[in-house]
Amino acid sequence: MSQTKNTANLLWGAVALGALGVLGTYAAAGPERFWANWILWFVLLITLGLGSLFIVALEHLVSAKWSVPIRRIPERLATVLIPAVPIGLIALAALPVLYPGSRPEAARHPLLAGKAFWLSLPFFSVRTVISFVLCILGLWLLVGGSLKQDTTKDPAFNFRARKFAPAFMAIFALVITLIAFDWLSGLTPEWYSDIFGVYVFAGAFLSGLAATALAILHLQDQGRLEGVRGDHLYNLGGFLFAFTVFWSYIGFAQYMLMWYANLPDEVIWYKVRLQGSWHLITLVLAGLHFVLPFFALVTRDSKKDPRRLRRVAYLMLGAHVLDIYWLIFPILGTPRLSWPELSFALFFLGGILLWVRGAMQKGEDMPIGDPFLREGLEFRL
Amino acid sequence: MSETSYSVLGVFDTPDALMQAIPKVRASKLGTVEAYTPYAIHGIEEALGLRRSPLGGMVLVMGILGAITAFGFQYWISAIDYPIITGGKSAGSWEAFIPIMFEVTVLFATFTAGLGMLFLLNKLPFFGHPVLSSKSIKGITRDRYVVALEAESEAFDSAAAAQVLRAAGAIEVEVLPAPDRSPFLTSDYILRTLGGIFTACVVAGLAMYFATKWFPVLAPMKYIQDQPRLDAQKASSFFKDGHGMQQPVAGTVARGYLPTATGTQEEAASLVNPLPRTPEVFALGKKVFTNRCEVCHGALANGVGSLTAAYGAKPANLQAQQFLDYPDGKIYWAIVNGKNAMPSHAPYLSERERWAVVDYVRALQRAQNAKDEDLKVATR
Repeated sequence: MSQTKNTANLLWGAVALGALGVLGTYAAAGPERFWANWILWFVLLITLGLGSLFIVALEHLVSAKWSVPIRRIPERLATVLIPAVPIGLIALAALPVLYPGSRPEAARHPLLAGKAFWLSLPFFSVRTVISFVLCILGLWLLVGGSLKQDTTKDPAFNFRARKFAPAFMAIFALVITLIAFDWLSGLTPEWYSDIFGVYVFAGAFLSGLAATALAILHLQDQGRLEGVRGDHLYNLGGFLFAFTVFWSYIGFAQYMLMWYANLPDEVIWYKVRLQGSWHLITLVLAGLHFVLPFFALVTRDSKKDPRRLRRVAYLMLGAHVLDIYWLIFPILGTPRLSWPELSFALFFLGGILLWVRGAMQKGEDMPIGDPFLREGLEFRL
Repeated sequence: MSETSYSVLGVFDTPDALMQAIPKVRASKLGTVEAYTPYAIHGIEEALGLRRSPLGGMVLVMGILGAITAFGFQYWISAIDYPIITGGKSAGSWEAFIPIMFEVTVLFATFTAGLGMLFLLNKLPFFGHPVLSSKSIKGITRDRYVVALEAESEAFDSAAAAQVLRAAGAIEVEVLPAPDRSPFLTSDYILRTLGGIFTACVVAGLAMYFATKWFPVLAPMKYIQDQPRLDAQKASSFFKDGHGMQQPVAGTVARGYLPTATGTQEEAASLVNPLPRTPEVFALGKKVFTNRCEVCHGALANGVGSLTAAYGAKPANLQAQQFLDYPDGKIYWAIVNGKNAMPSHAPYLSERERWAVVDYVRALQRAQNAKDEDLKVATR
């Protein structure tokens, strides 16, 4: 008990120290650096939350039984969408600083005039608020309902969730595309890519999977989640493996088409990322996000080996941070990694870990009211 | 038990019963234990004590080999054997190779998985496995799970094997006789196979014939025909001037070539000599000057060549102040386009040779107007 107290104190200390650095960033390093970091962590938070919620909805959509015993973990992780809302609303203040589309000059810009209304501050804010409302709706129906089922043991929730899941998939597609187009692609509004939403989805799903795997392994260290075996881990590992390939497939497809067509307004986005130190970061990203996890998970046994899976999950989360960093930070010029980035990491990582630690105490560790739990526990490959 | 038997099959009606029976049957050590099930049952390899299939490793190695093959093949074609610039990309651009590499990786991997499993590991062609002619085979392909004790030697005791299987909970036991080892490639078999192939060809051909005759509505895709392309004897509908081939943009320089002098001599004044002033360049310039220029302009480029007296022409004295002040580009322009009585030398000299001559002429001019410090440099 004292040890968990110590960890909590440590995390609170990290948040406090980070908060000092965050405030210092605004004062000393300027608003651009501040908002770039803020948006980085906002996007990381919302992709983690949406990716986890996607895992939950996917289970209801296809009536999967194997994942019922572990469903509570992505459900709890998805609650990070709640702190993501105020952080996202604060991030709207970044629009005039970082997003050229919401400045008044955009109306006179030959490439932006046509989409000036879409990019403008009012409509951008309306879309963001709608996205948040939809996220919270999904969270309330899928996670809130599941938590309530622990006490009511009412199987009607499964029917309701199954009915809502297809609608949530449409909502999810819309919201993740809006996040990708508005918050990430909107930093360089002259550039556009149809597949970009799918690219961000792949990263979001991976981060949800990796966080779920990590949370399960950590809870098992504490002797919780008894009954979750290698067969369940194998499926998580298989998903991780498949989606590293999917992520690189989408990322490379986007790159190759733009490289081939060589249109100035498209290729400039890659030109920036293939020059100077960014070139090295691009290669490192490909290595950490695809090559390393691919070969680490390629054999059958490695997908259910807890030690291997834990390392790959840490790697995947790190690669996801690097991925979003790689999407945002080139607008500031050369790669930045100094005390502002570190204090933002301290602040937000500490905060997320505190939130997740709290969430991990919510409800039972498994959805004990779900009639399919037994079947899920008996799941054999 | 005089008759030799191949194996004894014990039939179970659930996979769990099968999984529980396997250790008991294995413990009897009467023969090789094998299982036949309608679908893959996870964990059965461990229960049967099978070693891990080498197929995964084979697939990985062949997949990587496929990627390397596709890369090497494309690189050799497009960068070494026949380099053609397409779409303005340099020869051997790896980006363009990735889709083919991906496809060939998948091709090699799937072929290794499929063919390796069937031919290397399952030892096909293997006609008439004894189990296929058993009574239990219908159940095996439907909803029954079979454990077989297979004979390892002549001493196989099928009665004891049947006993073990019953004790392990088999609902039915079947003794299979040793298979008929007569050759299967009889003339009758070959004739029937060929007849079957022939019949299949005739049926497929007729089906194709009538399908295209009766359902001609299904036009094949013909986007290539419909695109705005140039037809012979027709104006292009794509370009405004009706030509299919367009002039390159002014100032275009072909890849691998140097900018050349077009337009007037004044316009060429801005051209910059791209060659470095190295001994090799001066040696080349001297050689070209001796071969093509000296006969008129003279060895010192002062307009006194050996042909001058015979023809009465007045070649330019390149040592005159006018030419000392010329920028490199204007001399280059004169070599390319000719000037006054001098013809164009463009057909005889490569761009490198022309620019080398320009450098050499500069050297001759400097030599005739040498300064003190030049002497210091030359004697150092």
